[in-house]
Amino acid sequence: MNAVLLIVIPLLAAFISIVSKKIAPYLLLVVGLFNIVLLFFLENGLVFIGGFDVAMNSDLLGISLLLDTYARMALWLINGLILVIFCLNFKSYKAFSSILLLAMAGLNGLLLTNDLFNFFVFLEISGIAAYLITSANKKPVSTFRYLVIGAIGSSLFLFGVVVLYAMYGTLNMIVMIQAIQASGNYAEVILPFTLMFIGLGVEAKLLPFNAWVKGVLGHSNTLTGPMIAGVYAAAMSFVLGRFITNLFVFEGSLLIVVTVLLALGILAGDVMAFSSTKTREILLFSSIAQASIVALLFVNGVIIWAVYLIIANALSKTVMFLVINKATKDVGSDESEALRGLFVNNKLVGLTFTLVTLSVMGLPLLAGFVIKLNFLTQLAGIGQIVLIAIILVASVIEGIYFVRLIVKLWYPGESEISVKYNYSFKAVFIVIALALLVFGTYSTPLTKLDNTIDTVMEVVNNG
Amino acid sequence: MASVELLILFLVGAGVIAYILTRFNTFLGSIFTIFAVMFVFVSLAGYGFGMNMDTTVNILPGISFTETYLGFYFAIIIVFVYLMVSFFHPYYLSEYKYKNSYNLLFLLSLAGILGAFYTDNFLNLFFFFELIIWTTMFLIPQGKSKEAAVSYFGFSIAGSVAMLIGIFITYNVSGTFSIYQGLAALSGTNAIFVFVLFIIAAFAKLGSFPLHIWLPIAHGNAPHPFSPVLSGALVKLGAFIGVLALIRIAPATGLFTAMDLPIGQYVVAILGSMSIVFGTLMAIKEDDAKKLLAYSSMSHGGYILVAFSILNGIAFAGGFYHILAHALASAGAFMAIAAVARATGTTKMKELGGMIHKMPITYLAYLIAIISMAGIPPMGGFISKWLIFQAVIDKGMIFVGIAVFFGSVGSFLYVFRPLAALFLGQELTEYKKVKEAPLLMLIPTFILMGLNVYTGVFPGGILKFINNIIVELGYTGIEVSTYEINGTNGILNPALIGLIFAVGSGIAFLIFIVLKKSRKVELMDTYTAANFVHDEHLLHYAVDFYAPLERLYEKQSNWMTKFYTALAEKVRELGKLGKYLFMSKNISTTVFWIVAIIIFLLWGEVL
Repeated sequence: MNAVLLIVIPLLAAFISIVSKKIAPYLLLVVGLFNIVLLFFLENGLVFIGGFDVAMNSDLLGISLLLDTYARMALWLINGLILVIFCLNFKSYKAFSSILLLAMAGLNGLLLTNDLFNFFVFLEISGIAAYLITSANKKPVSTFRYLVIGAIGSSLFLFGVVVLYAMYGTLNMIVMIQAIQASGNYAEVILPFTLMFIGLGVEAKLLPFNAWVKGVLGHSNTLTGPMIAGVYAAAMSFVLGRFITNLFVFEGSLLIVVTVLLALGILAGDVMAFSSTKTREILLFSSIAQASIVALLFVNGVIIWAVYLIIANALSKTVMFLVINKATKDVGSDESEALRGLFVNNKLVGLTFTLVTLSVMGLPLLAGFVIKLNFLTQLAGIGQIVLIAIILVASVIEGIYFVRLIVKLWYPGESEISVKYNYSFKAVFIVIALALLVFGTYSTPLTKLDNTIDTVMEVVNNG
Repeated sequence: MASVELLILFLVGAGVIAYILTRFNTFLGSIFTIFAVMFVFVSLAGYGFGMNMDTTVNILPGISFTETYLGFYFAIIIVFVYLMVSFFHPYYLSEYKYKNSYNLLFLLSLAGILGAFYTDNFLNLFFFFELIIWTTMFLIPQGKSKEAAVSYFGFSIAGSVAMLIGIFITYNVSGTFSIYQGLAALSGTNAIFVFVLFIIAAFAKLGSFPLHIWLPIAHGNAPHPFSPVLSGALVKLGAFIGVLALIRIAPATGLFTAMDLPIGQYVVAILGSMSIVFGTLMAIKEDDAKKLLAYSSMSHGGYILVAFSILNGIAFAGGFYHILAHALASAGAFMAIAAVARATGTTKMKELGGMIHKMPITYLAYLIAIISMAGIPPMGGFISKWLIFQAVIDKGMIFVGIAVFFGSVGSFLYVFRPLAALFLGQELTEYKKVKEAPLLMLIPTFILMGLNVYTGVFPGGILKFINNIIVELGYTGIEVSTYEINGTNGILNPALIGLIFAVGSGIAFLIFIVLKKSRKVELMDTYTAANFVHDEHLLHYAVDFYAPLERLYEKQSNWMTKFYTALAEKVRELGKLGKYLFMSKNISTTVFWIVAIIIFLLWGEVL
């Protein structure tokens, strides 16, 4: 068994599915399950492709993949979520199965690869898949805008990689980390790191590179909403985390700029959500703020709780977008006024939505609270009181608009609206809400895993 | 021994059972809730007074408890208010939209209360505070206004966030989340920061000026049985934080030597005085009986802050006693209004009148409660105000002194209005069929009446317990015997006052019995301005009661509301600006930002 199967099998299946449209959806189910199961059997470590084992020594050749606990958690989340989201949209968006297979291959590749150019290739593959997925919104101009901005982002990333390659003569991430640490000249790498950070920032929804988000998520449906705000956001946050904690060296002015941008992203995201009346916009702006928090945590070296935050956000946003987008489809508007009283006849959905939202807001008894308190404690431990204050002030604004939204959704306006959620939707909502509730009240497993997340170098050094 | 942990778990379990029972039968679920709260109250009262609660934790992860006089005092008062209010549930819940969850959230918030006052860990404290906030937040929209919940939540969460930042500063300095070790380790600038943050939290929760505007919105619109909980119990969380900040942290700011008071404490006292004055003025103006009482709570919060700012035993005794007296009085008053609202469907004074004929017991309960609020003997409010006045005068705090006396006189003006308009006044035709509240609701009414009087006549025992708290906080307690309280300016014998009052009432009653019976006149058997009155509503004098006084500050009265509305509007505009700057449909905007950032970064480094 080899980690490369996680990429190759979905890719192969994507090609096969083009030949036979009928089996495509089932192929996706089988491949998704296969990936999840395969992850149980794979061992941590480096995988060399094409027999270039000497690559590590010669510093030059070959592509390798790196599977560690960090990547494993990310892969489980991504593959599992794609599978669940597709199952829920099985009837309505069957035609998208090939694209989802492609997305699966691209995202798995992103999370596994240890080669910078190879990373760029996967960035493009997953990017193309994302553009195609968003075409389901039937808003071609927004998709086109996404495509253009995405292309700018990945070219900047590529440019950064080129500069790094010119400087250190390698594309192997581990070798490059060693080389940069050995040289110790961080002023030289500001340019490539800035370019790469911006390139990833576009996909990770960081302000101000994220203008595409409004058009794409603001018109999302039950497929694109959870896929972009849940799966892609999680994958890109994981990737960004990998780069920030291992490769990027943020020091001096670069650190200031990055910190300011991320802090601004948190505040601006929540303030923009506060000023929105459309439910989908509220959700998307809130996820911009969350993405910035995650990145900020990585910059400050708070890894494990950032990972949990990514997972909790991906699950929460999946539920929230599913609930809202289904309602929007049935009601015909996503204005919060138009959705008044949505939960009057959908009490179970309302309950799960409320719990999930409370978790995003970081209120007790739910996983979000445990995560928030722990990462804030770690930030306090390194004396980042100002960042804590920024995150918390933003959370006040966040709390207000979410409560406003929840209250509106629970209490009817003048006209009653009827939205029907089928059982598969409800089942997913319940499972996710219960998971958040369980980890919110019983957090021991979360704190136990604390020591098993290492940086890439630790993984390599420990074999 | 009663274990705190088990009581909390019991409440959570009882909440779930109450939910299931309420689903099938609202009455049954509510009765169960009464017994659940009663069990907790009895356990607490049985073991807590002697500090015999079991504080070991076996099941709850990461939670630790300790027993303090301070925490117990708050806990027992709040649990008592919860118990009193729970008697109202059977008669109110059936009207609510999500009645099933009402008892569940009610009991969950009580679990939070127990935890908050028994924990010795800051993170636990924050956990329980947030738990209380969100559980109660969902109870409020079951009442009149759905937006009230947002305002309540916004201010509460702002308060807890301020507290959390303070907690993390403490952690950063001391390396511990233990409340008592952490606060003790603070010094210098850090202590001032934490003090300010905790004071913000205290003001937000207590609803004191300038963080008060949620108070009338939430109290006025909350479900009728929940308003007493808000006013009598939940705002007291703010007082708890206030005690931690003012007495436990007490940062070394400069000293006003004339008053021998640190500047920080003095500023809080002044802000507290402003709460008293503004609360009183706003209450005088208010037409809705519940909102009126909410403003009165704001003013009483001010008294509590003033008391804890003056760092001596008498002031503390006054502050702690005021917490109890106000909890009893405001619970009594709000519950009386709730009973009227249940019978008539409104709390607007101009729509009500003559309720004394139909609901005499409720009337009496309200009367006794407002006498206590106004600080007139022989009720509990008198004792606490007497102590606070003593402390203020003794320190020579002129402005604060003016404010506390103004608040006392002002409260005559406003508490009298609901009495006159709602209970006395003319009986209106539409309420001819109204009946007195049912027996179950009268039980807490009688208990509260009794306690309002008891606290005013025999404060000795309670003050002795309060002395334990004061000693625990590191100050000397006051001198108190069974019948007498020693103040700085004299000795008070409340029992004697009570006796004289009783004798006076007895004589009045005798005169009433002995003298000739007055002739009972029908309401319409009168004329005014040379006209026969043909409709009862014309005799109603609840509207514009204090018009000349109100005109003095008519224009200024909505300044704070305007301020917060404008603040929300500014945040919204800022969001729009953000969307304009960052969320443009024009791709070149994104490119501009990218280029700008790269140039900024490379300027002077590579370029």
